[in-house]
Amino acid sequence: MLKDKEQTIIEVQQLKKSFGDDVVLKDISETVKAGQVICVIGPSGAGKSTFLRCLNVLEEPTSGKVLFEGSDLTGIKEEELNHLRQKMGMVFQSFNLFPNLTVLDNLQLAPLKVRRLSADQAQKQAHKLLTQVGLADKAAEYPASLSGGQQQRVAIARALAMDPEVMLFDEPTSALDPEMVGEVLKVMRDLAHSGMTMVVVTHEMGFAKEVADQIWFMADGYIQEKGKPEDFFAHPKTERAQDFLSKILS
Amino acid sequence: MKIKKLLLMLVFLMLGMLISFGHVQAAGDNYLQKVKQKGTLVVGTSADYPPYEFTVKKSGKTNYVGLDVDVAKKFAKNLGVKLEIKNMDFDSLLVALETHKVDMVIAGMNPTPERRKSVNFSQLYYRGNQYMLINKKDAAKYKNIHSFKGQTIGAQTGSLQYQLVKEQMKGNSIKGLAKLNDLVIALQSGKVNAVAMEEATAKAFAENNRSLKVINPHFDVTSSQTGSAIAFPKGADSMVTAANKTIKQIKQQNLINKKYIPQAGKYMTSNTKKSTMLNYWTYFAKGIEYTLLITAVSVFFGFLLGTLFALMRLSHVKIFHLIAVWYIEFVRGTPLMVQVMFVYFGIGTIIQSLPALVAGIIAVSLNSGAYVAEIIRSGIQSIPVGQTEAARSLGMSQREAYRYVVIPQALKNIWPALGNEFITLIKESSIVSIIGVGDLMYQMQLVQAATYKGVLPIFIAMVLYFIMTFGLSNVLGHFERKMKHA
Repeated sequence: MLKDKEQTIIEVQQLKKSFGDDVVLKDISETVKAGQVICVIGPSGAGKSTFLRCLNVLEEPTSGKVLFEGSDLTGIKEEELNHLRQKMGMVFQSFNLFPNLTVLDNLQLAPLKVRRLSADQAQKQAHKLLTQVGLADKAAEYPASLSGGQQQRVAIARALAMDPEVMLFDEPTSALDPEMVGEVLKVMRDLAHSGMTMVVVTHEMGFAKEVADQIWFMADGYIQEKGKPEDFFAHPKTERAQDFLSKILS
Repeated sequence: MKIKKLLLMLVFLMLGMLISFGHVQAAGDNYLQKVKQKGTLVVGTSADYPPYEFTVKKSGKTNYVGLDVDVAKKFAKNLGVKLEIKNMDFDSLLVALETHKVDMVIAGMNPTPERRKSVNFSQLYYRGNQYMLINKKDAAKYKNIHSFKGQTIGAQTGSLQYQLVKEQMKGNSIKGLAKLNDLVIALQSGKVNAVAMEEATAKAFAENNRSLKVINPHFDVTSSQTGSAIAFPKGADSMVTAANKTIKQIKQQNLINKKYIPQAGKYMTSNTKKSTMLNYWTYFAKGIEYTLLITAVSVFFGFLLGTLFALMRLSHVKIFHLIAVWYIEFVRGTPLMVQVMFVYFGIGTIIQSLPALVAGIIAVSLNSGAYVAEIIRSGIQSIPVGQTEAARSLGMSQREAYRYVVIPQALKNIWPALGNEFITLIKESSIVSIIGVGDLMYQMQLVQAATYKGVLPIFIAMVLYFIMTFGLSNVLGHFERKMKHA
């Protein structure tokens, strides 16, 4: 995981996405470098989630390119895409744990079936990751018996089990009760400190300020403004960003 | 437009089948040679017609006996081949002959002109009169066909007697049933006032039922129709010639009157003597075995097919989607009974050695597949899209996502509906009895034929069906509770 700091992990070129007549992403070109933590913020309906889902092609871009470590994900064969997706872990707003499997099996399923680890390796790794997210004692439980915060931590561990190069977070704390937001953010913070490359769509400004290397501010299908968090939060340049920040900080 | 195209395709398909039917009939006359080559003479009959053909139980096994069976035995012996009897509904016999399921049909069948159009007949091997079976209490009322005015007369569908009643008793309504046993039950319970049947058969029923009586109502029958002959496929002249030789021999020795009928009479009385149901438990056991076998195998293949068609229906490939939609709609829009007959007789034209059991299982599986497909589809669609997305984001292909994530969850959701389908299958599979598969329904009819008791075997079969469905429903419920933990 220790990559050259200047290596480009994800590169987006002239990305456009529309659903029917509704143009959600208008023209986005950006790069994510190894070890960077990017927080994507902006008002609802800005296209943040759609942008994130285009990065691992859960949404097929209407035009433009998404390069992951140099390979264009938009025009490749299905098997190659599946293979590259393993390297891009994703965490969803609504956790999407597999309810019919225990916590341990949630963590083991893809490593066993996709990475083809041995049962022994998969189990060892699963226990290690559960310890990392502070849920070592929940291995045998089913998701339904866990709190929202615990479920989201399991979901993070599940994504990490594929040994990804980058982690994509789609509003990971938005569906949580306030008292559970902290435990999830702590896991994410630890992950950021360990050097993981991360793209996080979030409304947690505190987290963004503290952890992000860069803030990308999105509105109306464009990235309007980007910069270091201390600059962005103190001196937003665009009117849209000033307006947005004044609303949420008031 | 689309519908028009499909209709057109359907018409062509049917035309193709008609042509292939015609083709089979036009085949050259190597029938006798073929029978000798395979070493068995396959004979179709409808074994509920004593003394012509009926069943007796001998050391736990069902044996077909009666004067027709003796004639067939003699014929097979003269040809130097083994005899194999296939028992089915009287109505299905000629179709079975035309589709080469059987080499010949011997079932006390009258060579009517209508029948001569589709099959070849041997000479008559036996002449009997057409009689009427009535309740003894009515003996004073009914003397001949004219004294039945306004009454309902029963007759076996497709039989000569049915034709006679229809033509010569115009003032009467007629009730046609496939099985003589059912007609006798109808007579005893007053649903019909008399049943027209062949002399020997009528006498046999009267002898075994003290409440019944036989009269000769004096039907006007032309001599050519009053006897029984063996039916062969059109064009099988070599077989007809060989059969006529055997018949001549039988007549010369007067075997039917001297030997075959008395023998049949003995079997009939021995049947009546031990006609408690307990003596026939092996029939019911065998029937349960077949019913469960058919159901289990059909459930297995129905489930595979159902999964396949559900996935095809959900597929983005348009042709797969269309095939699945039309298959499901077509199967659900036609009766299982028709499907069973179509598979047995239709596909049987192409694969002539297709056994009835296999045909039955194929038909029931194909049928169940359509219903299971819809259950599975609804199950798959009940799984939130986030589950697939999570699986795909972990690098699973669409296929792996279905296999490891969606389908296991869908199965849990649809378990009760699937269970219901399987229970339904136990009951629905009873329809295969019409093509002669030995399931519970069929065995029940054999017991009826052997014991001359109508209602009791039905009741026993009903209870047995209930025990099976109730038992399965409990087993399924147990698994359902077990799966509920998550």
